[in-house]
Amino acid sequence: MTKSSLFASASALCLSVLLSLGAGSQANAAAKCIKGDRKAPYTIGWANIYSVPTWMKQTQGTIEAEVETLKKQGLVDKLVVTDAQGDANVQIQQIQSMIDSDVDAIILIAGSSTAPARVLADACAKGIAIINFDSLVDTDQVTAKVNTDSAQWGDQAAKFLIDAIGGKGKILILNGPAGVSVSDDRRKGADAALKAHPEVTVLAETNTPYNVAPAQEAVTSLLFANPEIDGILSLGGALSAGAVLALDKQGREQVPITGENARQFLELWKEKGLKSWATMQPNWLGAFATYTAVQALEGKDVPAFVKIPLPVIDNSNIDQYLARAADFPADGYIYSPYDEELFKKLLAEQ
Amino acid sequence: MSVVDPSRQAGALYWPVQLRRNVGVRGLFAVVMAFLVAYGFLFPGLLTASGFAKFTQSWFPLALVAMAQAILMLTGGISLAIGAMVSLGAVIAATTMTGPLGVAGGAAAVTLTGVGIGAATGFIVVKLRLPAIVVTLAGSFIIGGAALLILPRPGGAIPEWLSDLLAGNTPAAFVLLVLIVLLWKLYLATPLGLSLYAAGENPVGAYRSGVPVDGARIAAYAISGLLCTGAGLFVAAQTGSGDPVIGTAFTLNSIAAAVLGGIGFLGGQGTMRGALAGSLLLSLMISVMFFLGFTPVAQYVAQGLIIIGAVAIPQFRKVQQ
Repeated sequence: MTKSSLFASASALCLSVLLSLGAGSQANAAAKCIKGDRKAPYTIGWANIYSVPTWMKQTQGTIEAEVETLKKQGLVDKLVVTDAQGDANVQIQQIQSMIDSDVDAIILIAGSSTAPARVLADACAKGIAIINFDSLVDTDQVTAKVNTDSAQWGDQAAKFLIDAIGGKGKILILNGPAGVSVSDDRRKGADAALKAHPEVTVLAETNTPYNVAPAQEAVTSLLFANPEIDGILSLGGALSAGAVLALDKQGREQVPITGENARQFLELWKEKGLKSWATMQPNWLGAFATYTAVQALEGKDVPAFVKIPLPVIDNSNIDQYLARAADFPADGYIYSPYDEELFKKLLAEQ
Repeated sequence: MSVVDPSRQAGALYWPVQLRRNVGVRGLFAVVMAFLVAYGFLFPGLLTASGFAKFTQSWFPLALVAMAQAILMLTGGISLAIGAMVSLGAVIAATTMTGPLGVAGGAAAVTLTGVGIGAATGFIVVKLRLPAIVVTLAGSFIIGGAALLILPRPGGAIPEWLSDLLAGNTPAAFVLLVLIVLLWKLYLATPLGLSLYAAGENPVGAYRSGVPVDGARIAAYAISGLLCTGAGLFVAAQTGSGDPVIGTAFTLNSIAAAVLGGIGFLGGQGTMRGALAGSLLLSLMISVMFFLGFTPVAQYVAQGLIIIGAVAIPQFRKVQQ
């Protein structure tokens, strides 16, 4: 008797727990951190880690353009920008100031993958939409994270190059600085394809900063040591430009090479008539983060992680990119075109 | 019975002496006060317990490294390894405190590392008579490398309760800072503390007068190391994790805070209160300029102008006199 009543009460408890969970998940249909108490027009905080590099300036340009568009729609009234000058501690203090001044959304490129976690949790608890892109933080206390996949970058680059040299031959691999996660992840991504083709021999690998001059210097010395090179797997745009210049200065024939959307490399590609392939970390990730923040604040559900497919530049569409070159700085990046339709599709696809 | 009680005489002199020591930094104090008032005006939440707590937490690690640098500069030394020491303290705390050592063991490891490396640096600089700038520059590579060996990528963890205690919504950081300043006052009353200024201003004269110059300088390096790794522990608690390069910017900021606070490069010149005010100004500037809505480019310019202004005001006075 007691047993069965116990069982009955236990099952009733289970049922009520299940019901409340169901109700809870319904109430959570809005995106993470969103409480629904914030009304348009919103104030957006853009917590930049370092504003000086050209990539960052162009990214900020897309954010400002997006904010202008959203202003016209009456959704945003103010953009607040901070620059931590590379210091993760300053970035934390600036995010704290954004919380104190009660912004409605924070978009950020993190200066450390761990340090901002606690201040972001505070922001999330206050119902501020947080969209983290490019350099991500190891925390789930954000509305959404947005990025491309560095491993996929390496994989696709390796596959293109192996195909371009006919599945066998001698190649160089050009990496960014050692110990930097983007550089390591791209290189790791290339491993599987290289292992699957034992007839592709890696002559040498370099680690240089993502700048033309050091890459050119490194490749020049490798050219002296290796009279026969069939292809170059470069995992950064400035590195590719350096390699092409090195081959050119030595009077060597250009070989198939991979790269990135750096304007200088794309122009060399056309000028030298290369067979090449390039991808990019699109600057419009900034605009997309802004758009996503506003969508979340408007009560739309947004996925916790938005993986951006890598836009590809190859010999079939290089001309379209170069046709727009004049709109971009000489040392900048020619990113793929974007519009609201693309953003909607990216959010729906996940 | 007409003998004057010496302790009463000293007591009567204490405050006038302290006031006179403020002369060089009065301008800075005025600027800091103006910024504090402006901050409170722009962000009234500063006057709430949690607002005050969060503000002092962003200042606290900079205050510690400013003190760490000031002690060394008072003895005529300098350290370019401040940032690396902060990083090392942070990664040791983040890798030990959730392990078998626990919080007490982790704190002990952080303390021993700080004092140990500091004392060793001091010993090399003082006993081998090598330039501090070279020894600490080399030291910064070794210490920074050690931090990367302990924790190659950002990670580790700090117990949640410790993070909440030190960097939650209570002004624990401010209380700690007050305690540290009181300890500094006590230290200045000990023989080693008394020797600090003498060893910096005129080491030869001090040595001939029987002051333990070498001991005072080595002790200063040890205390400086402890303050740095302590700041690292706090940063780890504040962020809930360790990052092997989190401290990098503290090296230059510690020097900026000390110089802003009137500490001379040649030793024996300046006061700790000046260095603390300097660090407070650097920290305040970031928040105040945010609330004033300055763009990042304007912030770069304003930051430079404020620093030059704060340093120049007392100089104008001197020139006029």
